[in-house]
Amino acid sequence: MSLEISGITKAYGGLVVLHDVSMTVGTDALVGLIGPNGAGKSTLFAVVSGFTRPTAGTVRFEGRSLDRLAPSARVRLGLARTFQVPREFQHLTVLENLCAAAPRQSGERLWTLCVRPGRVRAEEEAIHQRARGWLEFLNLARVADARAGTLSGGQKKLLELGRVLMLEPRMVLLDEPFAGVNPVLIGEIAERIGELHRRGIGFVIVEHHLQALSALVKDLYVMDRGAILAQGSPQAVLADHAVREAYMGGVA
Amino acid sequence: MSVEVFLNLVLNGVFEGVIIALGALGLTLVFGVARFPNAAAGDVMTIGAYAALGVQALAGGLAGGLVFMGGAAMAASALVAVAAHLAIFRKLAGRTAVALLVASIGLAFLLRCLIMLAVGHDQKVFAMPILRAIPIGPVRVAPTDLWILAAAAVLLAGSFALLHLTPIGRKMRAVADNPALARASGIDVDRVMLAMWVIFGALSGAAGLLLGVKTVVTPEMGWDLLLPAFAATILGSIGNPVGAVVGGVLMGVAQEVSTPFVGFTYKIGVGFLVMVLILLVRPQGLFARDADVR
Amino acid sequence: MLEYLLAVGVIAAIYLLLTQGLNLQYGFTGLVNFGHVGFFAAGAYASALLTKAGVPMPLGFLAALAAGAALAYPVGLLSLRLRVDYFAIVTLAFSEAVRLAITNEKWLTGGVQGIPGIPALAGGFGVPLSNSMAAFLLLVAANVAVVLATRRLVKSPFGRLIQAIRDDEDAVAALGKNPGAYKVQIFVIGAALAGLAGAFYAHYISYIVPDQFVPLLTFYVWVAMILGGTGRVSGAVVGTLVLMGFLEGSRFLRDAIPGVSEVEMASVRIGVVGLALILLMLHRPGGIMGDYTSK
Repeated sequence: MSLEISGITKAYGGLVVLHDVSMTVGTDALVGLIGPNGAGKSTLFAVVSGFTRPTAGTVRFEGRSLDRLAPSARVRLGLARTFQVPREFQHLTVLENLCAAAPRQSGERLWTLCVRPGRVRAEEEAIHQRARGWLEFLNLARVADARAGTLSGGQKKLLELGRVLMLEPRMVLLDEPFAGVNPVLIGEIAERIGELHRRGIGFVIVEHHLQALSALVKDLYVMDRGAILAQGSPQAVLADHAVREAYMGGVA
Repeated sequence: MSVEVFLNLVLNGVFEGVIIALGALGLTLVFGVARFPNAAAGDVMTIGAYAALGVQALAGGLAGGLVFMGGAAMAASALVAVAAHLAIFRKLAGRTAVALLVASIGLAFLLRCLIMLAVGHDQKVFAMPILRAIPIGPVRVAPTDLWILAAAAVLLAGSFALLHLTPIGRKMRAVADNPALARASGIDVDRVMLAMWVIFGALSGAAGLLLGVKTVVTPEMGWDLLLPAFAATILGSIGNPVGAVVGGVLMGVAQEVSTPFVGFTYKIGVGFLVMVLILLVRPQGLFARDADVR
Repeated sequence: MLEYLLAVGVIAAIYLLLTQGLNLQYGFTGLVNFGHVGFFAAGAYASALLTKAGVPMPLGFLAALAAGAALAYPVGLLSLRLRVDYFAIVTLAFSEAVRLAITNEKWLTGGVQGIPGIPALAGGFGVPLSNSMAAFLLLVAANVAVVLATRRLVKSPFGRLIQAIRDDEDAVAALGKNPGAYKVQIFVIGAALAGLAGAFYAHYISYIVPDQFVPLLTFYVWVAMILGGTGRVSGAVVGTLVLMGFLEGSRFLRDAIPGVSEVEMASVRIGVVGLALILLMLHRPGGIMGDYTSK
């Protein structure tokens, strides 16, 4: 079972941002995606997660074509994502952020809310328990009742991860999970990702923190100017001449 | 409907349409550069009309004609627009478009109140010389309408020349495209904003004057033009100047041509209908470059 | 004296119902609705016409709720296609289209002349009280019910979700939930409340004309909501009280100052509403009670 990206091209008028990008990632994979700014990594994520329509090419997940599926539909199939800049629900508490993510809540249907309050209460209990479990795992239990907008950058990244975990996804696209996070926390986040991978969730991770990323992932893809430049083990890829050239700007 | 009647309606629609186009161009500039829909545009137009009326009353008659009154209208409206920018909109920069929109609604009401207190509720007209309609083929054209068309064409052409041929115009387009990049390139965004508000004011004042010449001057006249002008900007794709002008003319024609079918009261309703239809079929407007833009 | 207080109370309670509906839409969900008066009008005319045709008043009120809801559904669907600020313009155009329709369709609505002789509340609900007293008590009951229901809704999973939508719609979509459906539901509920308020209004003042249903009314409600504090139930109450204070106060002022005509006072009211919106946006967008962004 896998995520198959075939021949994805994205052009904004005359500007080609993605050029015939193809890659196949198994849902048990732990893969990194790197490249200089403007290489098209975020655009690729946007196409795969459904926030942007490609000019050409298809995406298949677990054998199903994702074309024309809205972002929310793709998530329901098991393919989730986080955002480069955390998009927490700032005026809800951390706990509420996670609870809001739980899928198929009967309490979100007005009719059920009115006629089966007992069932809604029971479900809420279960959801709260699950959410608190994940908050423990992510070391956010202390701030469960704080407004999400008051968290530090690193904590917000963990919060995003927590929300995604409530979805019980098969595969997660992580967009720069280490960006803006203090170095101590980076190690912790990486460890959590590794643990989740061992529990059976696939990851595609876009990052600029090459050191932390290479220590974590098994496979690395490099993008440059809208195309895949190289692919392989982190050691091999980072030693590659063409890759070093593309990164001439210098990154962490 | 006979061909003659239809052609007359279309022609009248074009005359109204260029007035709407002036308003829509102003709106789309504000949207492109300041990034919000300006609900006070209508009342800024009304101010232009009243300013010109005042000048005509002082000068006693048509001395100097449309040009002199036009100057007064554009100057008065530009002044009000700049004052509004300095006192209100600039202070709200960085807030959501909704906050700016709500403030602009407040400004619209405030301006209307001031106009009503200053000049009262009654309808006024411009003293225009009575001229016979000129028959051109199957249609009859009032000379006033020809003057309106000429004035609007000159203003529109001037605006486009400004946008594409002058440094300030180019900077304005850069800011509309990507404000962060423009600022980083050394463009003085504050000066560009100021210039934009001046142009918006001038265009709106002219629209108000021409509307007043074509019909009557009332405190509500600008507000009545606002919805068709908004429909025109949506039709022509928000932020697209050419689209706004084309949209304006199309709106004018649509309104006129539909009048025999829907009656006079519903003419303004056509604007609402057009807006809804576009949004259902092609929400990004006719001139959008990227189908993803929501 | 009692009659006067009751009259003010009734109008205040009608405004409170309107403000609560708008607060659900904007304060809790982030939908910018500039067409509130259109749904108010729909409810007023629906109930007025039906009860004059012999339909029992409770059904008339139900129809008012339904009229608001039915009109709101297609308009709400449009909100899914549009940026929030352009949706606002469309709703404004909508309420004007409603006013145009009721002005034009004389055969149904009486046109500019309106509908006179609307059955009074007291009789219609079989309550042996004066019309003002009956109206006041019924309205208080309605408002209390709405306050309680809103409080429960906001704490529920549904309420959590709409507030999440207000904070970040795309993030909600990224969690596998379709924000559109929920936005439409809330929009419809808020509009139904406006329709209900319209029914109360029609049966209280007994004579409605299109000129009563102008955008100015929508913006009175907006001022009340922002002034009180959006996204907060107490905000709606406080804001409405202040609005009523202003509206009643302006009447006293006019009576006190010689030489001010009703028309001039009306213009001043418009100006004050405009100024209030500007000042609120500039200096105190959180309102008196603070909006949902503060604890």
